[in-house]
Amino acid sequence: MNELYAAVIHDVKNQLAELALRLGDRANAQQEMNIAMNAARRLTEMLLAIRQESEQLSVTPDSVDTADFLSILAAEYRELFPALTIDIDTAHAPAFAFFDDALVRLALSNALHNACRSAKRHVKLAAREQDRMLVLEVADDGPGFPDAMLANMGDTPTSASSRGTGLGLYLARKIAELHELEGRCGRIELSNNGGAVFRMFLP
Amino acid sequence: MANISKFTDKWVLVIDDMEGMRSQLRMSLTNSGFAKLHIVANIREALERMASNRYDVILCDYSLGDSTDGQQFLEHLRTNDLISRNTIFVMITAEQAYEKVVAASECAPDDYLLKPFTAGQFNARLEKLLERQEYFAGIDKAADAKDWTRVIAECDKALPARNKYFIELCKTKAAALMHSNRPQEAADLYREVLALRPIGWARLGLARALAMQGKKDEAQQLSQEILADSPQFMAAYDFLGGLLSSSGDKKAALDVLQKARAVSPGTMNRIRELSTLAVSTGQPELAESVMRQTLQKHKFSPVRQVQDYAILSKALANQGKADEALNVVADARKDFRDEHSQVILAVTESVAHRAAGNDEQAEAALAKAMAGDINQLPAETVTAIADACFALGKEDEANKFLRHAIQNNPEDASIRNKVHDVLIAAGKETTEADAMIEDSTQEIIRINNEGVRKAEAGQFDEAVELLCEAADRLPNNLQIVGNAALVIALSLVKKGNDPQMLARCLRYRDAIVKKTPDYPKIAQIDSQLRLLQPARSGQ
Repeated sequence: MNELYAAVIHDVKNQLAELALRLGDRANAQQEMNIAMNAARRLTEMLLAIRQESEQLSVTPDSVDTADFLSILAAEYRELFPALTIDIDTAHAPAFAFFDDALVRLALSNALHNACRSAKRHVKLAAREQDRMLVLEVADDGPGFPDAMLANMGDTPTSASSRGTGLGLYLARKIAELHELEGRCGRIELSNNGGAVFRMFLP
Repeated sequence: MANISKFTDKWVLVIDDMEGMRSQLRMSLTNSGFAKLHIVANIREALERMASNRYDVILCDYSLGDSTDGQQFLEHLRTNDLISRNTIFVMITAEQAYEKVVAASECAPDDYLLKPFTAGQFNARLEKLLERQEYFAGIDKAADAKDWTRVIAECDKALPARNKYFIELCKTKAAALMHSNRPQEAADLYREVLALRPIGWARLGLARALAMQGKKDEAQQLSQEILADSPQFMAAYDFLGGLLSSSGDKKAALDVLQKARAVSPGTMNRIRELSTLAVSTGQPELAESVMRQTLQKHKFSPVRQVQDYAILSKALANQGKADEALNVVADARKDFRDEHSQVILAVTESVAHRAAGNDEQAEAALAKAMAGDINQLPAETVTAIADACFALGKEDEANKFLRHAIQNNPEDASIRNKVHDVLIAAGKETTEADAMIEDSTQEIIRINNEGVRKAEAGQFDEAVELLCEAADRLPNNLQIVGNAALVIALSLVKKGNDPQMLARCLRYRDAIVKKTPDYPKIAQIDSQLRLLQPARSGQ
């Protein structure tokens, strides 16, 4: 990628970082902080999408504790959406799992951000083991995924909708698929069940 | 807030070159309950702070202006043992791509934070890191003391729980096994991890263990496979380069490091290795360009070493650019004033003068380098002196220095390789070089065995004399020093206490403990010394 573009994006993210910290010090600036954080996440996604297209995106799995992983994610979004309750269920999670912490974090933050925006009151994060796969789940109590998104399943970035451009979902799917073990690949699944349910399956 | 009590007594150091981020981080950290904060703008100030304060947490921005970056700084801290293993090092970065470089690098931070981040996310991460810090405190303390036996024992206690730290405990234990020269067990443990998941570091660990067992072909094949799967795995390039270089294929080693440099500009250690290889494979132009560029970038940075200037000067001298080579030495003298640096620069100067044909000045510089106590110098410097001796036709002196380097570092294969390089550069045949190294090694083994045999035969005075003479000459040869301490202890038990000899024995013993606290012979020495206990306490 053009180094100048990368440098500019880098610079913008630095400015957003300072802005986010400044807003964090003020009372009642969650919405503004939310906008800054979301803008930064979109930039990161765009960079990753460019790397993915030029086949430079690779996963480096290592051992991750899913309970710690989800609680850090939840801490960030509890701060950004103080009106919502975000619960974590890791009762059936393995003691340690293997995946690329940074990339899966990015994929789940996108899902969690969308869930928080659509939710009425509750969002639930869960991790469990199912058929030799790790399942990471983000569920909200909002209106659910639109039909077009359920049909598409992150296949291609779609045009803008109430839940974003679909770029995040597209990347989440690619990130899941890059996780591979003995011929088994990761995947994502979208469904509606009293709200939207996003699931990432990792081998 | 629950975390206030957790954070309040922790010492934190923040390094960020941007004024805005510094003041924001200060405010955020204070709001989160941190009370003991030092915030600095560059790594020079950071090192000054670290010299007088022990930090629990270091937060460092990855990009620190145009100079040395956070990753190079972390590498500097770890290679020079400037921070405890237990200190939490968090890298702050705006670049997603950074994580790839770091995940695959030799010195990974404990965590990294992608900018921007919220205070809530930051606090949640630090809580987890502090929890880990507490869990690993005992293990890290043992690792800091290089007491690998204790590291392994502590890991063995913790492993059966198979908790969330299980894989990290495996990694720590395997590294300790490697430090303890137990590659077979390390390989088994890496294989155990690999059976769960083919993680990059475990594959590379296995390759290292195989190499240590002498299975170089298998190690080479495995590291090539790792690089085929993950071309961004920087540590694998470094390992493969080192492996090829140690088996004498320096051209191939240089190729590997060049490939690494194309992926990532690289750490100082890699640049040093690459430039050294370029000089020894007859490509001084390459060494010059890489090292010049690096020193320009790290101008005034503490990650520079005097050796970097020595390599650059040598690369210039080898191209016949003697004046420039001498200028580099003069430049280095401004920044490196300690005694050891003076020796290295005197050697470098001698080589540059020799290249210019000024043999008289070359002799004078070399005489300065040779004047000090050889045992105060690292073996690499000793081999550099030998190299300069050869250049001036002083074969006997050169051989004396090389023998010392080998005999004082009997376990160190890299020193044997260095000695080999110097001999080849001086025009010796490979067989000749190998014979010289073997002869030096055997000589010291003979002295050791004879000392032990004399002690067994009851000729304590002779055994003590023989081994003490060798121990004083080769203070880094732990086998010799250990046996010297042991025969003194045996002799004291047999013939009655002698305060002067006891003091000497303890001096040897303590020197070993300082270098290798889990050295097996210490127990033997101590059990003899316990027999003396009444006499000792009577003093």
